[in-house]
Amino acid sequence: MQEALPYKTWTSSYSSHEGTSSTSAMKAPTKEDELKKMVSQNAVIVFGKRGCCMIHVVTRLLHGQGVNPAVYEIDEKDENDVVGQLKKLDAGKDDELQLPAVFIGGQLFGGLDRIMATHISGELIPVLKQARALWL
Amino acid sequence: MNSPSTPYITSRNMEIYDTSRNIGIYEPMHQMSMWADIKSNGFLNTPTSMLVEVDTKLDNQSEDTSHETLGHSNKYDQETNKPVDKVLRRLAQNREAARKSRLRKKAYVQQLESSRSKLLQLEQELERTRQQGALIGVGLDAIPPGFSGPINSGICAFDLAYGSWVEEQDRLVDNLKTAIYTYTDEELCILVDVVMNHYSDLFRMKATSAKADVFYLMSGMWKTSAERLFLWIGGFRPSELLKVLLPHLDLLEQEHAEVCNLKQSCQQTEDALSQGMDKLQQTLSDALAAGQLGEGSYFPQISNAMERLDALVSFVNQQADHIRQVTLQQMARILDTRQTAQGLLVLGEYCQRLRALSLLWETRPREPT
Repeated sequence: MQEALPYKTWTSSYSSHEGTSSTSAMKAPTKEDELKKMVSQNAVIVFGKRGCCMIHVVTRLLHGQGVNPAVYEIDEKDENDVVGQLKKLDAGKDDELQLPAVFIGGQLFGGLDRIMATHISGELIPVLKQARALWL
Repeated sequence: MNSPSTPYITSRNMEIYDTSRNIGIYEPMHQMSMWADIKSNGFLNTPTSMLVEVDTKLDNQSEDTSHETLGHSNKYDQETNKPVDKVLRRLAQNREAARKSRLRKKAYVQQLESSRSKLLQLEQELERTRQQGALIGVGLDAIPPGFSGPINSGICAFDLAYGSWVEEQDRLVDNLKTAIYTYTDEELCILVDVVMNHYSDLFRMKATSAKADVFYLMSGMWKTSAERLFLWIGGFRPSELLKVLLPHLDLLEQEHAEVCNLKQSCQQTEDALSQGMDKLQQTLSDALAAGQLGEGSYFPQISNAMERLDALVSFVNQQADHIRQVTLQQMARILDTRQTAQGLLVLGEYCQRLRALSLLWETRPREPT
């Protein structure tokens, strides 16, 4: 059962626990598990580089639609690692995973251009509704 | 040239001819040919003062031995003198031609010299600009004030290609004007496809030249001045163009609602991207201002900033063009062929008017400073 979680930002860190939510208390054994959990537990989650302005674009757009996406900021040193993990999560696609990357309903939806294109064509909202990210 | 040569005597001959026309002393035909000679040699332009001078000289024949024979000719029949006249006249013509030729040569050489110095000047300027371009990578204070303009060939190529694109666009818009009323639906569909592909060409061109210099694209300097007023991330705002279109389209209620929705989605997407752009500016500003300002050493900050900047700006520009293209495609999907054609026509003409306005403004009569 997926619940609409309040807006949170998880920082990617193995050692320090800077996350303010209760879920950060759950110490995932591996990075992969941690990511898997995040993707499945959040209707919408945005993965992006720390300090990247483009995450802002995606979240702004989603907020405008009444969606509260989770945001996972990736440190530069972990970037390749995390991207690799995320690609594994998205079975069947060999394309380069570009950051920022958006997962909707546990599935990799795409990057900024896909989000924008589907919003303009009107396809985004039904997808969000189906993933229960939107209620109205 | 003061050679009292045959022509003056010949003009005297004319006088004599005129007065003795009825007497028939001279051969009229021969006289006419001499008259033709004068005309062709331009000796009619000789100032009258010279004529007078020569006349007085002739009257004082005894002083001038070289013209003795000529002097005699005044008293006698002119016909015996003609071969000598001819020779003297030819010499004079040659002198005149040679003089003119020398003057022409002088003028040509002067022109060559000035062109050469101008070329040297241009080459120097080009070299200077190249050096300035190389200096940008070194540090901000190395850029002299007033430096502007694209210096790489990728941008020049884009400017040329864009010029051709506009020409072709004007042609297509003209086609649409008549096609709306005369073409069948199938023919119109083909034309609409052509116009849509033409827009795709533009986006492709922009993408290619963005690799050469994305800042040039963002500056909008490749557009006319009136178009630049509406500049949003390297081009038009799609939602604004939709606003222009809407009143000119003949739409059913549902279609109208769909286009309004499109306009709204467009606006929201644009706003999101604009905010991203603002954040980018903020990040850049922070990077540049890091460390002590006013102390001078800024190399690390500059290289750090530039590294990120180009990639990010390219990304933003790419996304903006993506929005434009998707909006255009969605519009074509919502509307039927005829409505799309109408929409493309309105769009095309709107841009034409903007360009015409710019041209009018640029060529306005200015007050002398």
